[in-house]
Amino acid sequence: MPAGAHPLRVGVIGFGKMGLLHASIANGLEISELVAAADPTAGVLESLKRLKPKLAIYDDFQPMLAEQQLDAVFIASPTHLHTPMALACVETGVAFLVEKPLSPRVADAMSLIAALRERPVANVVGYMARHIDTFRKAREIVSSGALGQLLHFESTMYVSQLFKPGQGWRYDPRSSGGGVLMTQNSHLVDLLLWFFGPIERVTGHVKRVYSEQVDDFAHAVFEFKSGLSGYMDTSWSVRHHRTVDLSILVHGQNGTLEVNDDDVRLFIDEGHPPYAAGWTVWRKPDLFEGVSLDVGGPEYTRQDEEFLRAVAARGEVASDVESAVRVQQVIEAIYQSSAEHRAVSIEAAA
Amino acid sequence: MSTNGLDPIVLGHNSFFGVNHLSRKHGASREAMFDDVSAIVGMMESASALDVGAMMMSTHPRAANVTDVVRASAELRNRWSFYPLLPYITKYIRQANEKGMVNIVLDQIKHAGWVQGLSILARGGLGALTRDYKHVLSTLIGLELAPFSDLHVKAVFLHDVLTDLALALDIPEVLEVHITEIGRRFGARAGFATKNLPLLRSRFERYGFKSPLVLAQINKIGFGMNPSRTACEQALAGFDGDVMAMGTLASGFLRPAEAFPYVFSQPNVRSVVVGVSTASHAAETFAAIRQYHVAAT
Repeated sequence: MPAGAHPLRVGVIGFGKMGLLHASIANGLEISELVAAADPTAGVLESLKRLKPKLAIYDDFQPMLAEQQLDAVFIASPTHLHTPMALACVETGVAFLVEKPLSPRVADAMSLIAALRERPVANVVGYMARHIDTFRKAREIVSSGALGQLLHFESTMYVSQLFKPGQGWRYDPRSSGGGVLMTQNSHLVDLLLWFFGPIERVTGHVKRVYSEQVDDFAHAVFEFKSGLSGYMDTSWSVRHHRTVDLSILVHGQNGTLEVNDDDVRLFIDEGHPPYAAGWTVWRKPDLFEGVSLDVGGPEYTRQDEEFLRAVAARGEVASDVESAVRVQQVIEAIYQSSAEHRAVSIEAAA
Repeated sequence: MSTNGLDPIVLGHNSFFGVNHLSRKHGASREAMFDDVSAIVGMMESASALDVGAMMMSTHPRAANVTDVVRASAELRNRWSFYPLLPYITKYIRQANEKGMVNIVLDQIKHAGWVQGLSILARGGLGALTRDYKHVLSTLIGLELAPFSDLHVKAVFLHDVLTDLALALDIPEVLEVHITEIGRRFGARAGFATKNLPLLRSRFERYGFKSPLVLAQINKIGFGMNPSRTACEQALAGFDGDVMAMGTLASGFLRPAEAFPYVFSQPNVRSVVVGVSTASHAAETFAAIRQYHVAAT
């Protein structure tokens, strides 16, 4: 932060797990300071206020936006509240980072897109997997063209989370928009779009097992505009994945690339500088770069710092509302495809 | 180098519970290998034979299976000291996705038993969380540590996620509850795991916390050292505290003979917590620790 500059005034809407994480990062970084928080749940913010007496607390986000002269807001509410809250930020001229997924339905985000075109503010959608070392490296390799023409991919997102009906808004489709496909797996859809560009058509199948109203398993075949095709498989009801595990394997004419949270494995027939022919493996220690503050993972710090720097200096961000709407279009098309038992093109869904 | 009452070698627990910071697949297969409590006890016996009798253990749901076996054996009970790490954070993160943070705390309090549970809920359910956070935290700490009652507990570490949340939010009160509870209940030393050693040092100095015990990643390639290895080395120099080093092998990236000369070249490193999975790996690792720990004296 330049000498004499004041820290950015940050507010947080929704003080669950993600709200707490963003509040901590924003307060711990030098560029910003947590000054206000809003959450309708009785008791949650009162306990924080007791420990941080200067913090302004609200049970409604509207007066917080009106009174606090905030520079940046983190929105970590249930999904169906994301776009109305983001819209209120735009109307107040406040930059926002909103958690993923952006909205239960694509249509919910349209007025936000229009408002941002009218009155731009820095905006980020919380696809933090783009900031994980291994996925950053893999994206760099894919973009370099080292794999040649891309032919086929396999991708998965698994976590051992749900083996009986869940409680709370995440399992109510009116709030969440859907199950595992919509929630954790939206990270994988975002990574696939980030790696491989726009998707032409999807064929999907989703299944409920433990949940009464949302999907616990989902499977889809993707056809990208580039000609690349392949599949995505996901579940939060599989064993042996104590944390969210993302994985992508892509086959190209010149070789293969496999990436997950632990490592990046590249094999190419012909060398493609700086990448040598044969196997190259990058493990986490090879790729590690320290962050100014690690609370819950360096990827969250990188994402939040990128957002706050963009607020301070109008810098670029990786994942924004426009790119997050494209994620929602793909997810919505998979649900539609599963319901109608046919392939769905992405334009039709939009 | 003085150990200030800490065991110089502490057996890590991650491989018992499927945690491997280099490879999740590897972690899951190790978890299967140690699924049987007798495999963990077997590893403790191998370590005993190499004159190591201290273990760090997360308050993982399976910890009680191990501590029950230890409690039932006079030899293990007398021989071994424990360094619990609380809470088992992954469980809570999963539960937060399943039912939200507030319900986790309420459910835990309900499980605390009639007397404690009722006494907290009688103060007004959720309102109790605000008016009486010290009592709530104390209850939660007691629940997490229940499997370790009657065992030799030298220090209890607060998980890095909680330490670092409190440091980032700048709320020393939460850390103070940990210090007073661990001292009062267990007569043990309160320790703090962190991924942000320089931040911890500067905050603790401001809070006036004297001679803290800290668990932090220390390795020659700087893996997991924030904001950088250099900044962590500067924080270690002249630090008024005792450091237990973890991640010394960078999750298996480094061999013991290349890892430990660096670790023990750092000031205030008293002890190393290290995960081993086979008897031969244990022998190689412990020998290297002893060689360079002694060399640093």
